[in-house]
This record gives sequence, structure tokens and C-alpha cells, in this order.
Amino acid sequence: MPTIEDPIVHIDGISKSFGRTVALQKLDMKIDPGEFVTFLGPSGCGKSTTLRILGGFAQPDSGRIVLGGEDVTRLPPNKRKVNMVFQDYALFPHMTVTRNVTFGLELKRMTRDRIAARVDELLSFLELDAFRDRFPDQLSGGQRQRVALARALAPDPDLLLLDEPLGALDARLRAQVQLELKDIQRRTGKTFFFVTHDQDEALTMSDRIVVMNQGRVEQDGTPEDLYLRPKSRFVAEFIGETNLLSGPVRHAEDDRVAIDWFGMQIEGRAFDRTPRPGDVVTAALRLEKVGFYDARPETGNAVPGRVVNRVFKGSRTAVDVRVGDAGAAILKAYVDRDVPDDVWLGWESANLAVLQD
Amino acid sequence: MSTTSRSETAADTSRRPASGKGDAPTFWGRLSHSGPYRAVTDYVFGSTRRQFVLLAAFPIFWVLFAHLGPILQMIRVSFLDSYPPSVGHTPQFTLDNWRTFFTEVIFLRPFFRTLVFSVVLTFATLVLVYPVAYFLSRHVKRDNQMLLLLLLLIPFWVGEIVRTYAIMILLGNTGAVNLILKALGLIDQPVAFMYTNFSLGFGIVYLTSLYMLMPLYSALEKIPQTFSEAAADLGAGPWTRFRRVILPLSLEGISSGCTLVFLISTGLYATPILLGGPSTTLFSETIAGFFHVAGDEWPTGAAFSTIMLLTALVLSGTFMKLMGALQKGGRK
Amino acid sequence: MTRNTRILMSIIYWAFVVYLFVPLVLMILMGFKDSKFIGFPIKSWTLDWYVGVFRDTEVISVFIYSTTIAIASTAISLTVGTWISVLLAGRSFFGRTVILGLTILPAVIPGIISAISFRIFARLLGVETGMFAIIWAHAVHNVPFVALVVMARLATLPASHTEAAMDLGADRFVSFFRITLPYLKPALIGAGVFCMLLSFDDFVRSFFLGGYEPTLPVLIFSKLRSGMSPEINAIATVVLIMTAVLGIWAERSMRRMGKGT
Repeated sequence: MPTIEDPIVHIDGISKSFGRTVALQKLDMKIDPGEFVTFLGPSGCGKSTTLRILGGFAQPDSGRIVLGGEDVTRLPPNKRKVNMVFQDYALFPHMTVTRNVTFGLELKRMTRDRIAARVDELLSFLELDAFRDRFPDQLSGGQRQRVALARALAPDPDLLLLDEPLGALDARLRAQVQLELKDIQRRTGKTFFFVTHDQDEALTMSDRIVVMNQGRVEQDGTPEDLYLRPKSRFVAEFIGETNLLSGPVRHAEDDRVAIDWFGMQIEGRAFDRTPRPGDVVTAALRLEKVGFYDARPETGNAVPGRVVNRVFKGSRTAVDVRVGDAGAAILKAYVDRDVPDDVWLGWESANLAVLQD
Repeated sequence: MSTTSRSETAADTSRRPASGKGDAPTFWGRLSHSGPYRAVTDYVFGSTRRQFVLLAAFPIFWVLFAHLGPILQMIRVSFLDSYPPSVGHTPQFTLDNWRTFFTEVIFLRPFFRTLVFSVVLTFATLVLVYPVAYFLSRHVKRDNQMLLLLLLLIPFWVGEIVRTYAIMILLGNTGAVNLILKALGLIDQPVAFMYTNFSLGFGIVYLTSLYMLMPLYSALEKIPQTFSEAAADLGAGPWTRFRRVILPLSLEGISSGCTLVFLISTGLYATPILLGGPSTTLFSETIAGFFHVAGDEWPTGAAFSTIMLLTALVLSGTFMKLMGALQKGGRK
Repeated sequence: MTRNTRILMSIIYWAFVVYLFVPLVLMILMGFKDSKFIGFPIKSWTLDWYVGVFRDTEVISVFIYSTTIAIASTAISLTVGTWISVLLAGRSFFGRTVILGLTILPAVIPGIISAISFRIFARLLGVETGMFAIIWAHAVHNVPFVALVVMARLATLPASHTEAAMDLGADRFVSFFRITLPYLKPALIGAGVFCMLLSFDDFVRSFFLGGYEPTLPVLIFSKLRSGMSPEINAIATVVLIMTAVLGIWAERSMRRMGKGT
């Protein structure tokens, strides 16, 4: 239950370099019990290093890891109440499903009876009863992933680490497993620390997403926050498809910011820090938030334009619309019907997020 | 949970007798929580440095003592005037053993015979085995490759002595070859194959050919089939394809196969005794001679062994360097 | 490649097989000859030589002696070779190349020199010639082969497997014995059988380090020096069949396990 409790994990100012490459710069983070936190970012952003430091496979150069109130920074993996689902699952090839799940329980000095009960419980929870005597190479990708999950959950860890565990699955299966994983997390109430470079995965499953870039946190928030209210150009471009609109600020009041964009007056929202008039700012506008109108819409922002390119994508069509003074700018948008070449584009001010950089 | 409370609970349970099955932890659980085991592992894994030292100490000791020690001691003995030490005489340093080699011609002949023999036979083995390795790796389906390779491995597992004996029976005066030649009416009197350079060479090739096959096979097998197809596509004929594509890419296999066969040939002892004659004495027999007589000949034998070892290693080292340069040169 | 070269190549291969097998087949046939005199043609056949071999207590005790040496030296080689591999595989440290080179050293020293150096070293250590000296020499000589095979196998063990073991509460000992060692099993079986064969077949080291009791190759050698006899063929054939069977068995079980993992 995410109530007012102490954080289960406290990442306290950790830094890590490999030679001259800086992997993490003073990362601070608190994770509450029962949260599904996703670290999202491109490869080399530091997300995997954070995961390995939490697991005990790497030591930070400075900073501490506090787990359930105990400083575990120097503890080896086998002395931490943290378990991990590896990217390649790392199922022991010479052991059956049951033996794999048993492995961690044996080392907790549990009695055989209790081990058997716990294994039964986990295997039926993850619908693996039928495969208990199979070896890993006799299982499908999805089954292996569930065995890895069962094995990691078995010792009842305080924190479960998941290192891109869906990467090896094909696209169709992945969508299904995402929902399963979220469901399992909810039912067990465990704290999940999930690492991925896939924005879909992150948006589908997480309670909270941390976007990482070059060893730093770019933004930390709910999926809605990140998607609709990105703080930086990096986040806006990394998650979803977006138009970036740059121009000088005409005037700003509270969170309302009026921008001059190629001679068009548009209004957006600053969710963090309100810029001053004269500042040149960039604002992000999601493709699907752009509406098409035959005549000038009455509310919100509106600009006239001319469709210059159409790409058919099945359920919808991606269009490029030339707008502004002498058609100086292009807005990309999605439309699910036929539109004439000359159109009006419109969107709510709340959907134009003014970025911090 | 702190470390102290953990070791206390571990101590409690280790005192409890492991009875029954269901209500007892498994072997690994009991082991990893037992007091003495905890104490040992906590110490060993206490620091990565200590862990590494404990892991590395034995292998380092072993390779220095057991691998390098005998060679160093042999070199040391080669500079002593007597060994094994006899009562009342402390071995003194001397260069006489080394001098003997360069001053007495009767030792130089078997030495150079051994080198020439080994080089010639290595080359002969290469020429003989290359087509076999080529065929196996490039003209046989992958599943069958292993089967055909296994067929060649069977004689390989049979030892040096047994195989040498087989050659004696093949080439003897009343051996199979002479029998066939007589039956064909080609000869009246048996040909004296045995105890000659021929019988010795034949036997050595017979013994070493598999050591050539293995490196050649694994080098050739790694070359993708598409390479020679690409060369053919660009208009290269079979000979050009082999010379410009396959051969340069198999140089590494040639290099290690030849080195292996050369080193083995120089070290053979039983084969030259059984298949060779007085005119084919090899250096290994010379060296062994110093150890069959009691006492003071050991240092000379040690010096001769050292000379043989240095020569063999320098020659094969130079050869491998040259082959390496050839490979790199081809890449430019 | 053209059809003709293909055929030519396959002829060369089979000629090579014939070359390897014919001497051995002839040797086996000679063991059934009903005469004390070695040589062709074989006019009448007998099993007497084999009966003699299995009744000969000397041959049987020598066989047991050789087997004991092979098993003991193989056990040492496997332990040491695996230990060295674990140190060298996937780790870089100062002096690693030197240790690797020294590990391989016994494999590149020509046989006679290896035997001589062991003989001198045994004298230095005060080890009497005989079983222990031979076991030690065979063990040292075979360590490089074990190390090479085990290092190759270790290189294919994903780091995540031992990490997963540690993650689940295993320390490095437990992780080695429960994860790494089972993974190495095919390599250890292959290397072990190879070591047994090398030890069992070895002549030069056994000859120079042997005491009064000969190993099988040394026995055959000394019998040969006093004259060829079908009795030797019978002994050699028994040795041949056993080594071949052991070799094929190891090859098969390695392959089957290689597929399993």
C-alpha cells in the first residue's frame, strides 16, 4: 500500500564513472513501497548502471543506497533483499523450472516443506504448474520470462529489479506480457524497479517514470505528466511523437505563455517555471492533439495551413501541414478522415507545453 | 537485518540435529548458514583483494613450481660439473657440458638430422593433410563432418607405442607391403623398409598427422562458404579462389598445425628407437643416452636438452612470427 | 568447385582413412595368428594369444597400474586446470599473460625434454621414480589441455548466470559448485577422457620416471625390444579397443550434452 511510509529505497547521491565515461552524476531518488517505477532512456543513459548498483553487482564511486532503512551500499548481491529478473532471464539451464525457483529458497535455509509450499504457490500464481519439470530450453519465451519472475519473487524481496525483461519477446506477445506484469505487480504489492528503453512499455505499466539522459534525471513523474507535460526537449522527443515550436515570448501571466511563432500568435502552458517576455522558448505539441477544422475554430489556438504531404498508416493518416508566414513552418499531425488541402488547425492551450530548455 | 543477528540465528540452527526430511532445510541451505562455513566465507569474501589473492595464489604457485620449475632446474643442472650430487662433492659451476656439444661432432650430426627431419616431415604432413582438412570442412555437410572427423580420431586415441608397432608390422621384411609387392611379382627379395629414414619418416607422419588436421580443420571451417562464392562471382577460377581467398585465411591453422607437429617430432623417443636404425639416430636418443648411465652424465644430458629446447622454441617462434607477418601483409 | 575436384578430394579423404586404419587392422589381425613368428601370410588362426593375455597376471597388474595412474593424474589435472581457468577467464590483471603462457608451457615442450626435466626435478625434490613421479608428470603435462578446453567453455557462460545465483543468495563458492561446475560438465568430461588417454598412452614420461613396475606402453616397448610376438599384438589390441571405446563414448556424451545446453 503506497501510504505515508518511509521510502523502501533511498538512492542517496550516487555517482559512477567507467574510465572517463560518466555513467551516473549524483543521482537522488526515493522509491515508495509498492511503486512500479520505470527508468527509461537510451542506451548509455545510466539506467542499467543504477539497476546494477541496486542489485549489488556494481559499486558506486560515491553516495549510498539505503534499502528498508539499512545502508546496503557495500553489501554483495547475496546479502541484499533485492532480486532481479535478468535481460536474458539467466535461467539455470541444467535445472528444471521447479529447481530454478527453489534455488533462492534453499539458500534462505527454508525447510523442504515450506519450500515446496512456496514453489507451488508461485507456480500456480504465474500459471506454470504444467511446466514444473521442464528445462528452460523446453519453454517458450513468455514462459521463460514467467519462470524468471517466479524465481526472483520466491525469496520475497523488498525490491524487484527488472532489466528489460521483455526485450526478447516478439511484439505481439510483449503487449500481452506488459499487462500481465502490471497485474502481477498489483497483486503482489511488490516494489518493481523496471529498466527499459521502450517508451510504450514504460507508459503502459508504470506508476512513475524516470527519464534518464547522460547520467542525469531528465524528468520524474507519472506517465501522463511525461507525455502531456514534458519538461525538456529530450523528454518531449524521446516519448511519443511531437512538434517542437520555437519562438519569443510575447507575454506571460501565471502559467499562460503567449508565443510568437513565425508571425502566428499561439498560447501554451508553462508547468514548471514561467518564462519572461522576450525569452526564446520551445514548446511541445503532440501530433494527435492537433485538430482539423474547415473554418477557424472558436476556442484555443488556431492557424491556417496547407497539407503538403500525406502518409497512410492504416487507422489514420500522418499529414504535414505548411503554416505560418509564407509557409515557413511545418506542423505534423494525425487525421482519421479525408481532409481538404486547405485547412484550419487548432489545439487547446493546455496541450502546448512550454519546455524548460 | 544486521550481520550479528544473522550469525546468531545461524549458530542456533546449526546445533539442531538435521532430522527428517520435510522439516529440515536442504544441504545448501544448511551449509550456507552453518557457523564455520559463515566464518570462512565471511573472511574469504570480506574484500575483493583478499578474494583475488586466495584465488590466484595456488595457480601462480603451481605454474611456477610445476610448469616452470623442472625447466629451470634442468638449465641449472646443465651448468654443474656433476649431478646428482655425490657424497663429499659439492657440484661446481662449469660450461664444459655446453662446450661438449659444440666441440664433439658425433653429437652435431643427430642434432641437425633431427632438425632437418622434423622440418621435412612437418612439411610432408602439411601437404598430406591439407586436402583432407579442406575436404572435410568445405565439401561435407555439417552433420556428417563430425562423423567423418570422429572416424579419423579413433586411430588418434591409440598410443604412440601401439601405432609404432603397427607400422613395424606393415613395413617389416615379412610385412604386408612386402607381401603384396611379392604377390604382384614386383620383387623377389623383400625390400628392407625397416630401420631406415623411410620407415622412421613414415612412422612419424603416421603419428603426427592428426595434430596437423585439427588446427587446419578448425581454421578452414571458420571461412564462410560465401567468401569463395563471392570470389567466383567476381570471376576467380578455382585455383585463384584457393590461392587468394582460402589459403591466406587458413594461414593461422597452417601456422599452429606446423608448430605442433614440429615440436612433437623433435621430442619423439620410442619411435626412432623402434623404427630407426644406426644411421638414423635422432637427438632424443643421444639425450636419453646420458640418463641411462649412472652418475655424472646428467649435466651433459641437461645441457643438450636445453639446447634442443631453445632451438625448437626459437625456430617455431620465428616461424609463427613469419606466418603472422605474412597474414598481416596479406591483409594490406 | 567442380565435380571432378570434389571426387578427387573425397578420394584423398578415404585414402587418408585407409592410411590411418590399415596398419592398425593388420596389427589386430596378427594377434590371431597361430604361430610365434610375426609376418605375413597368416595361414591359420587362433585365440590362444588373447587367452594368454587375460591369464597373464603381469599384464593384468600392469593394466591396473596404468589405469590407477591415469585416473589419479586426470583428477589432479582437472582440478588444477579448472582452477587456473577460473582465475584466467574473464578477468584481466597484471601478469595474466605470463600465467597463461606458463600454463600452456608443458604442452609445447618436446616429449623427451619434458621427460628429462621431470626426471631431474624429481631428483631435486627427492621423489623416487615410480607411481607418484609418473602421476605428477602426467598431471603437469595434461593441465594445459584441461585449461584450454575449460577456458573456452567458461567464455561461453553468460555472466548473468552466476550473477543470478548470487542475486538469489548464493556466495561465490555455492555459485561455482551449483552453476559454473554443472555448466562446465561437458568440457570436463571431454578434457578428462582426453587426459586419461594421454596418460594411458604416454610412453616417454612413464619410461623415464618409472620405477621397476612398467606402465602398459613401457611393457609393450620392453617386450618389443626383446622381439616381436603375437602376444604383443593381443595386448596392443586390447589397449586399442579400450581407448577407442572410451574416446568414442566421451565424444558422444559431450556432443549430447553440448546440445542440451
